[in-house]
Amino acid sequence: MIDIEVFIKTFIVLALFGTAGVGLYGVVAKPHATKKIISLTILGDTVNALAILLGYRYPGGIPPVYTGQPPNEFVGRAVDPLPQALVLTAIVIGMAVNLLIIYIALQTYRLYGTLDTRLIKKLRG
Amino acid sequence: MASRYLIAVSIALVVVSLSFAVAYGALGASVPLEGLRSLARAYVTLAYAPWNRTLTVMSPEAVTSIVWDFRGVDTFFETAVLFGAIIGTVTLFRGIKPSARIGEGLSAIARSAAAVTAPMILAVAAAIALHGHLTPGGGFQGGATAAVVALVILVTFSLGYLVSGLSKERALMLRSAGLLGIAAVALIPPILGGIVFQNQAKELSQFSYPAYIGGALTSGSLLFYNLFESLAVAAGLTLTIMLLLSPHEVVEEAVRGEDHERI
Repeated sequence: MIDIEVFIKTFIVLALFGTAGVGLYGVVAKPHATKKIISLTILGDTVNALAILLGYRYPGGIPPVYTGQPPNEFVGRAVDPLPQALVLTAIVIGMAVNLLIIYIALQTYRLYGTLDTRLIKKLRG
Repeated sequence: MASRYLIAVSIALVVVSLSFAVAYGALGASVPLEGLRSLARAYVTLAYAPWNRTLTVMSPEAVTSIVWDFRGVDTFFETAVLFGAIIGTVTLFRGIKPSARIGEGLSAIARSAAAVTAPMILAVAAAIALHGHLTPGGGFQGGATAAVVALVILVTFSLGYLVSGLSKERALMLRSAGLLGIAAVALIPPILGGIVFQNQAKELSQFSYPAYIGGALTSGSLLFYNLFESLAVAAGLTLTIMLLLSPHEVVEEAVRGEDHERI
């Protein structure tokens, strides 16, 4: 039986940063704009998951929803609600930013007829 | 090709070193936290505290309290950003008219299953949105769930079937009605002598939305914000889905525009 604290410190943190790394690699190294956009969403969602992890607490770790227990016990165990509220905002803003990026990609396709950044780089005028 | 390996190796190094640093307290606190930071402690303590009526939100759900009360203006502008993005999409796709031709859709089995599940999804969406101040959930989550119904109808029936019930203009109207509702709930307090975005009475401003209506806990303005936000998000996302899933030929013709024809 592995200790949950050790599990979070080793496996979950590494997995989250690993996924963020995959997203970053896609944004930097993939030539096609659609794949860059997909990678950017992976990167953004991983960072959101990381923010949620930073609000988690152990021991304790109950949701920040008051269900009628003594207030001291609730405050002593509830997780941090602020990262969750900020992630909710980040998801909505992320969706808006993605829509804007897709708009730019469509405009690029409309003007140049391609979304391959290697070809767009060579175009003049 | 060599540069690609260089990128991969350097990102792998960054991943390993960052996760090592975070796991051992580089953020100033260990992961996971052992106690709450003082700000989080204040939020959790004051979310539902009937014994402290001048500071509490009267909502057992701390996240919704933060979203619509402690940091309400933040959420207002977040909604404005989302609205701007949807307006941008509508502007981009201005040439596209979702065709009103009702297609065949999927098989009778799929259509019957969709007809049974669609009202259920709507009920769940309403529960998520309207209980947002009591249980996890809220206006945005409820609205996003309700938009799934539009997607299910679009796939199993057809785009024309969806458009015959909810046209582009009507979806935009619903979205605007939701936003106007949010603005109205935010601006009623200053008209009646309170502060913008005020929910419960404070020391310096006695205006207060009713925390209980007919004996049920409604947490003042939180219920109304969730209601209007879910309406706005559901209509906005349905509109986006409708436009983005228009037939390929129609979109391509509109996206190409006039520049392409000149060449």
